[in-house]
Amino acid sequence: MTAEFDTTVESEGAPLGVSARPPRSLTRAFWPIAVTGAVLALVPLWLGDSRLMMGLAVDALVFGAYAIAFNVIFGSTNQLFLCVGALAGVGGYASAILADTAKLSMTVGLALATALATALGGLLSWIAVRRSLGVIFTGIVTLAFSLSFANLVLGQRELTGGETGLVVAAGEGTFLRERVAAYYLFLGLLVVFLVVFRALERSHIGWAFRALRDSELAAELAGVDVARYRIYAGVIGSAMLGITGAVYAYSDGFISPSTFAFGHVDVRVLVMLAFGGLGTLLGPVVGTVVFAVLDELLIDFGQLRTVVYGLLIIALFLGFKRGAVPAVADLLRRLVRQARSRLGRQP
Amino acid sequence: MKAVALDGIVLGLQFGLLGVGMTLIYGLGGVLNLAYGQAAVLAAMVVAITLTAGAPALVATAAGLLAAAAGGVVIDRTLMLPVYHQRGEHRVLLGLLLTLGVAFVIDGLLLWRYPTGALRLEIGGEAVPILGVRMRVGSLLASGISLVVGAILLLFFRATTMGRAARSVIQDEVGARLVGINPAAVRTFIFALSGALAGLVAVTRSMTSPVSVTAGFDFTILALIVAVVGGLGSVAGAFLAGVLLGIVSTVSAFYIGQYITTIVLLAATALTIVMRPRGLLGR
Repeated sequence: MTAEFDTTVESEGAPLGVSARPPRSLTRAFWPIAVTGAVLALVPLWLGDSRLMMGLAVDALVFGAYAIAFNVIFGSTNQLFLCVGALAGVGGYASAILADTAKLSMTVGLALATALATALGGLLSWIAVRRSLGVIFTGIVTLAFSLSFANLVLGQRELTGGETGLVVAAGEGTFLRERVAAYYLFLGLLVVFLVVFRALERSHIGWAFRALRDSELAAELAGVDVARYRIYAGVIGSAMLGITGAVYAYSDGFISPSTFAFGHVDVRVLVMLAFGGLGTLLGPVVGTVVFAVLDELLIDFGQLRTVVYGLLIIALFLGFKRGAVPAVADLLRRLVRQARSRLGRQP
Repeated sequence: MKAVALDGIVLGLQFGLLGVGMTLIYGLGGVLNLAYGQAAVLAAMVVAITLTAGAPALVATAAGLLAAAAGGVVIDRTLMLPVYHQRGEHRVLLGLLLTLGVAFVIDGLLLWRYPTGALRLEIGGEAVPILGVRMRVGSLLASGISLVVGAILLLFFRATTMGRAARSVIQDEVGARLVGINPAAVRTFIFALSGALAGLVAVTRSMTSPVSVTAGFDFTILALIVAVVGGLGSVAGAFLAGVLLGIVSTVSAFYIGQYITTIVLLAATALTIVMRPRGLLGR
């Protein structure tokens, strides 16, 4: 009986993740971001000597930034954008080509590349909303965009270097190529994205996001312009992806199709976010840290690592569908409530 | 030109068969099976192993198809159960993510055990002239098998009780249950059929070009494209879309180049979804 009851309840609301209201007080809303930033800022003190480890830490932050962007698009408005890597790749390749081949300044390259990724993401979102494609068809269309982008990069060899990749000259000799400096740069980006996410949650846009996530029909009836807010989310998330990809290209100095490949980026971001909790503020960060550590632990396993990830995906979606962070938070809250009521009973 | 078009039809018939397996599972269970290509690769590896063990080609093929079908049944009977409890988009999303996990597990295990595994069936014999074009026996055999199996499938879904039961579940699960059809049994059968179809396509593909252990996701994407363009849930639509896309694919690969061809196929999919989400022959 209970099992049946559970499934009906789950079918009512959002499929995955949570849509809770953010705290009203300014300090309570933003202190988790400050703490996260402070803790992550200590990492170089511990790993700073090793260039290899710092490189891995930078990569982890880049994935964290992708995950926050994906959280804005999918976590907030249920648009399954399977082109996270491709949009970041648009930012990365455009900024590199604009700076190196077209000889524009790095700032202009960054701005134009971000604008391009934003426009493409907005266009995809607009198409999905206009034709009212469901989760699945949005997923397939954006997946088609991803794979087309990958083939375009492979085909345009003179411009992109094809399979072998592209060495980016812009950014050479600046602080961007220092791993510790790059770490702080990406940490700054991550913190800014988190602040944007929270600010969105607290604004009228956040109200609309929660309403349309819980029930699209009810939101529409209550006067929420669902189409417009979906496109907002698509545009903001795509801008985040474009910036991250562009900065990565300048900072790493080498990009290739596999840097932004669907199997490398999108799948991982999806799993990271599902683990951390879709639609939550810190879900992407938790997912990032856990998967960075897991990667290190499983480094000797070779192909078996894929098997472990597969099993993890299955276990995650069969078990706690709302993500680890909300599940743990619920457990803590329940324990606190129990402890309180027990204390209350004792005079 | 004629040679390219004929090659396209050979390829397209196999595309069609590949799409049918994908489209059936979606129609029936509301699940996009992302581990579909892995079933094909699994079958290919089983065939390759039994062949090296000295078994005749027919026995090896049978073993491969059985393995893929069994894999389908196991997934349907275990992992898909919680998926069937969900409805609408939640069902599709959960099915998608769980089968993605399965795909990773199978891919990882196969790559770990057989890192350079590949299946190549050598079909000997002189090239046969058809319409003035010399066709390899391997291509003809692959097309023949695809045509026969396709015809049997169409006949099966029109004329047998099990086939009609499957179609009624695709149309309306509740209605099918009311007239005494057990949707769970039909689903298990279709999962087995779909696995066997994926395996069969892997075997026919290997008659013209090698099927490597890493080909899983390519098969899945191809099946997805064909199924979407044909209309999810429509068997005849998948065949039609398969042949059309096969011809488009070889012609464009011949005149424009491989990378653009992939983009053309993907654009066809995206356009179909945007213009006519029900596909060519969808309901």
